[in-house]
Amino acid sequence: MDGKNYEFIEHTADICIRVKGADLKALFINTALAMFDIIADKLPVKSPLDSARAEQATRPQTVKIEQEAENLDELFVNWLNELLSLSSAQEIILSDFKITDITTTYLKAEAIGYSSEDYKFNKEIKAATYHELKIEKSDGGWQAEVIFDV
Amino acid sequence: MSEIWQGPLEKIDDYRWRIPKSYKPGMRVDGLIYADEKLLKDIRHDKAAEQVANVAFLPGIVKASMAMPDIHWGYGFCIGGVAATDVEAGGVISPAGVGYDIDCGVRMMRTNLRLEDVQDKIKDLTYALFNDVPAGVGSKGDIRVSAKEEKEILVKGARWAVEKGYGTEDDLECTEENGAMQGADPGAVSARAYERGKAQSGTLGSGNHFLEVQVVDQLYDRDICDALGLDLGQIMVMIHSGSRGLGYQVCDDYTRDMVHCLSKYNINVPDRQLSCAPVNSAEGKAYLGAMKCAANYAWANRQCLMHLTRKAFEKVFGQSWEKLGMFLIYDVAHNIAKIEKHIVDGKEKILCVHRKGATRAFGPGHPAVPERYRRFGQPVIIPGDMGRNSYLLVGTQKAMEETFGSTCHGAGRLKSRSAAIRTINLGTLLKELESKGIIVKASGRGTIVEEAPQVYKDVNDVVDVVHNAGISKRVCRMRPLGVIKG
Repeated sequence: MDGKNYEFIEHTADICIRVKGADLKALFINTALAMFDIIADKLPVKSPLDSARAEQATRPQTVKIEQEAENLDELFVNWLNELLSLSSAQEIILSDFKITDITTTYLKAEAIGYSSEDYKFNKEIKAATYHELKIEKSDGGWQAEVIFDV
Repeated sequence: MSEIWQGPLEKIDDYRWRIPKSYKPGMRVDGLIYADEKLLKDIRHDKAAEQVANVAFLPGIVKASMAMPDIHWGYGFCIGGVAATDVEAGGVISPAGVGYDIDCGVRMMRTNLRLEDVQDKIKDLTYALFNDVPAGVGSKGDIRVSAKEEKEILVKGARWAVEKGYGTEDDLECTEENGAMQGADPGAVSARAYERGKAQSGTLGSGNHFLEVQVVDQLYDRDICDALGLDLGQIMVMIHSGSRGLGYQVCDDYTRDMVHCLSKYNINVPDRQLSCAPVNSAEGKAYLGAMKCAANYAWANRQCLMHLTRKAFEKVFGQSWEKLGMFLIYDVAHNIAKIEKHIVDGKEKILCVHRKGATRAFGPGHPAVPERYRRFGQPVIIPGDMGRNSYLLVGTQKAMEETFGSTCHGAGRLKSRSAAIRTINLGTLLKELESKGIIVKASGRGTIVEEAPQVYKDVNDVVDVVHNAGISKRVCRMRPLGVIKG
């Protein structure tokens, strides 16, 4: 996995990834991290003289997420799409996630992000999809495969 | 994908292949794929054919679940999919049959310029376009709008842009639906979708979206070319873009809702991404009203992009765009659902026609075709990859009879993005393109590799099939000179 917590699986047009996590919480967080890792890279703060960027970078924004769903698959897809939507609407890239409450049908979380001006964009992800979605309990925890529409 | 799809593909003739409905219990109609032997080999290499079979499960689907020769694996529907449901017989509408990028589409402009006029200036022109037309992931435009104005865009579509001075009445006449679908319901669009749409009108976006300066390199129908004022060596401009974040949010909102409609309306589909609701249900009507808003936003967006393009040409050539003859030939949507009348088994029916990576191709005489084109059929614009060709086609009567007036939308992907990154060197690719006289400017370097010509099917093969099958007719072919990518 090249030091990353996810790997790519072949898909003709879109992006499919496989992610692991020790528990459900870790699985959800790791997938969110993977998604934003695909979308953008943080620009380095070049020097203290680059004060405008340094100042921007010190101002994190926190967003709150609460999702209810009928089942785990739906909760997972809704979680990812809610993060994409918040990131796009508020023009921020989310980089830190804290899930305070999670069951297979409910989650409550906070995510911290920085202005998209601080990032170099690599890829636009339109949405996470249900197509061939797999969420399974594996030996050491949980594993998910999800296709992103790009 | 190393796995080969093993399902049945029965040959009907050289360009038509059937997946019989006996393939999977639950299929209501056959699958029908337009392809030749050569393209069929590629089609078996991913799961697109299985998706054609899955779409045949949709309640109310008539005739067949169809796929055009640029078919490839999507989510829910395949890309290149055409499916029509009978509205009065409980037929459904599915956001997956439209896609996240609602009214992704293409417009093509002519110019009076000739190859010799731009040959020395193509670099300047490409750079000017790159500077003046916002492109790239999350790109934001200079055309920022208030919430009230955004609502206006959702109802008025391209007309909003024309009223702002970004175009003419003539442009609207040459746009599918005149640039705005009637019945758009801004109340059905979520606050989040509005928020996502605010900063993005007048932006190209990323991925496979592009702006190209092209030259006509082959004429197929002299009569139609003459009528359109097109000749060999003439410079054309093509713009490929969609509804940006606003459209993605509308699709996401309604996919979320409609997942629950599957049990509510007792709908059995093999893939949850095919979530749907009867067109006549509250959920179906709300989605259609919101989808039309996103479609109108996309038409306004392409109108703004065309305006920025005209301005960039004016700067480089020191003449007004009118003097440069930069008139719109046509603008088509290739991710959309429409309520249309078609003849099924000898009877006129009201259908919900989904075109997901497929283009409307109405034949001669159809009232929805602008009067100036009615004699020979609706112009159809088929963009290819950045190294080969693009086409102008027209719709045919046969398309009306066979495919609900639909045809292909582009080349269709062949290789995955990760395979492209593994196997293609950016420097080598740019040199190859330059040796063919093609300049590329992109905001993301990765985009060029992921969109390299070799990751696409040859658009010439795709167009051969739709032409030979009779569901559209070749008019002329272009090749790229300057390419702007997101």
